[in-house]
Amino acid sequence: MRTKLSVIEPQTALNRILDALECELIDASDDEILEAAKDLGMNPLMKGSAAFLGLHTFSFAEFFESEALREVLARTMQIAAATQREPNGDARQPKPKRTIERKGAADK
Amino acid sequence: MPQIPQLVDHRVLNTAETALALKLISRMDFLRLKTIARWHARGLPPDVTWDDLLQEAFTRVIVGSRRKPEDVSMVAFLAGIMRSLRAEHWRRVRGGPGSRETLRIDHQDLSRAAALSDPAADLEHALIARQELAAIEQLFAGDPLALRILAGLAEGHSAVQIRAALKISKTEYDSARKRMRRALLREGLTCAQN
Repeated sequence: MRTKLSVIEPQTALNRILDALECELIDASDDEILEAAKDLGMNPLMKGSAAFLGLHTFSFAEFFESEALREVLARTMQIAAATQREPNGDARQPKPKRTIERKGAADK
Repeated sequence: MPQIPQLVDHRVLNTAETALALKLISRMDFLRLKTIARWHARGLPPDVTWDDLLQEAFTRVIVGSRRKPEDVSMVAFLAGIMRSLRAEHWRRVRGGPGSRETLRIDHQDLSRAAALSDPAADLEHALIARQELAAIEQLFAGDPLALRILAGLAEGHSAVQIRAALKISKTEYDSARKRMRRALLREGLTCAQN
């Protein structure tokens, strides 16, 4: 077995390594994450910990609590339920906005 | 004969279950996802950040373009989406369907369009991959066994094959992987953008 990574085509080697080691991160326990953070002088248990820096999706987590998400989900569920009730696709569809705009433009 | 109405709409249930699964992501899961996103962003051009990958993965789940199987954890599912986003990105850049320039050849024997892919994209990919491999090697520079395991993984070998080739026990292999995991977590938790 070779000991240098550069012998294989770099894209292939990189993809294989990224895919193979991904599971290490998925399976990492909470304790292991805390220990690694501790090595860096971070405490993820503290509010505003540096470990969360750059993680814009974390503030996105607040989105899960928000009215905006509730609206998105409610809309998705309504569409799903309407499609379920009207299996033949007879459900009344909202008028496309573009059509209305075109009519308006033609009148002018 | 009147039909019994369907009591459970699986599509609605799927959406609700997905929402619940997203809501149940813990603070630690967010850190796990951060390290995974940073890992998968390796080898992507600098204009694509790990946060872009993560947000795109979340978006695909929320809009329902990707459905989570019941037996897969949300973190593993999002990781899978990020993995496919990485592959998708390079496929697009390298000249997958829709991204190629086509040249019409007006010759009776060659009357078909020839697809031209951008050779510079392959060179760029190779160069970025080489740099990332060097960076990953650097991560494990102090651990010769980890470097040898990495070389085995790069060749596509399984854990059993690597253990056999390196003549190491399962315990030695597992403890090396544990050290590697610690190094990956440390690197993944840093604050750098890419």
